[in-house]
Amino acid sequence: MSLKEQLKKDFSTFTLALIAVAIVLNIVIGQIVSLLKLPIFLDSIGTVLVALVAGPWAGGLTGLLTNLIWGLITDPVAAAFAPVAMIIGIAAGLCAKYGLFKKWWGVIISGVIITVALSIIAIPIRVYMFGGITGSGADFITAYLLATGKDLFSAVIITVITDNLLDKIVTAFLAWFIVKGLPKRFISRTPRANAVLE
Amino acid sequence: MTLGLYTAGDSWLHRLFPITKLIFSLSAIAIIFGGPNKWLSAILPGVISILILWSAGIAWRALKLIVQLLTPIAVILFIVHGFFGPANHQILMRLGPFVLGQEGLMYASLIVVRLVSTLASSLLLVTSTHPGSLIQALEQTGLSRKLVYLLGSPLLLLPQMARRIQTIRSAQQSRGLETQGNLLQRIKALFPLVAPLVFSALVDVEERSLALEVRGFSAPTPKTNLTEIPDTTKQQVLRWGMIVIAVCFLVFEFWRKRNGYD
Repeated sequence: MSLKEQLKKDFSTFTLALIAVAIVLNIVIGQIVSLLKLPIFLDSIGTVLVALVAGPWAGGLTGLLTNLIWGLITDPVAAAFAPVAMIIGIAAGLCAKYGLFKKWWGVIISGVIITVALSIIAIPIRVYMFGGITGSGADFITAYLLATGKDLFSAVIITVITDNLLDKIVTAFLAWFIVKGLPKRFISRTPRANAVLE
Repeated sequence: MTLGLYTAGDSWLHRLFPITKLIFSLSAIAIIFGGPNKWLSAILPGVISILILWSAGIAWRALKLIVQLLTPIAVILFIVHGFFGPANHQILMRLGPFVLGQEGLMYASLIVVRLVSTLASSLLLVTSTHPGSLIQALEQTGLSRKLVYLLGSPLLLLPQMARRIQTIRSAQQSRGLETQGNLLQRIKALFPLVAPLVFSALVDVEERSLALEVRGFSAPTPKTNLTEIPDTTKQQVLRWGMIVIAVCFLVFEFWRKRNGYD
């Protein structure tokens, strides 16, 4: 299948409606989790969900637009991290495409791969734009590492990975369970869910 | 969930074509991070943005938002880089085991100034433009209808979903769900809250896509808008002017760096 045909299949009206809902789920679930004061974010669960059933491009677009919309309505700082949210969707979609979302251990590996992929984009943004600081609890790790003599870049690498690893593994699992729990009728209308289901 | 940043008004800034403001913000941000003379490039776009916001009567609100959004980051930046900055050399003060260094403070100041400037120039767009108008203007400028739908639909859905989660929360709490307490209790509370939301939202997807199809969403014919946001030739010239200025600054800085003028 050529790229153009694949994109046309990936972006059916059904997928578009799904992406719109997933964007809202990202924002709303992110808010519930921060209300419950849990040590994770879960604000990319919709992104990973779309990536699993509609592929890396749809997943990436979900992440990108989530942060742009978030930036538009509540916090422009979030827009600066839109490329990071995009990479989460692309990485999750590629993991699914190559069969990692078939077994539970593959889901863990996917969580790790997503974390590494997002770090590659997040670290330069954090270092060059924000001086390595984001105003969250994770800044303590950065401060501690700098105090022990690490340079800013390595300190931020370690912070981003420790901050995201658990979150992305949990997100990958939740998205996987949701896809498995969806009715067949729904699944049959998505372009790529077969890569996830056995 | 409200469209929190937009401040209604009827100033000249509110009436500008949204894309003009968008181009201003993007050019300003490009100059802040990539322009020559890093301090001047960081400060000027911010000052210009604040002046524009002031003439439109919304500077006060923008400044409040800047303080609100950036205070935590700024405080931590000064502490972390002031005391533990890797480049610290010139010692300004000793506080017990901690040493306050000049290089770290200067670095933190530059980052804070850049962030304030960036935020000021993006608030110029988002506080004076209703998200709906921005999206409509993007459509008028030729953005694909599918992308326009993806930007616009979540804005309409958000309040609905926020209400739905409120309903789910009251229902679960009346059944005895604890949303406070220790970590385990709070983790346990997550699923009864999130699962009904996710599944009900996903079930809606099919209906929503059918509704779109029935209204000819994917039909290739051009669509008519009920209202049109006015654009002017003057603004068109202004937009190109801003793009040219930003590109010139970036190219100049690139050339300067490459020839080792720093």
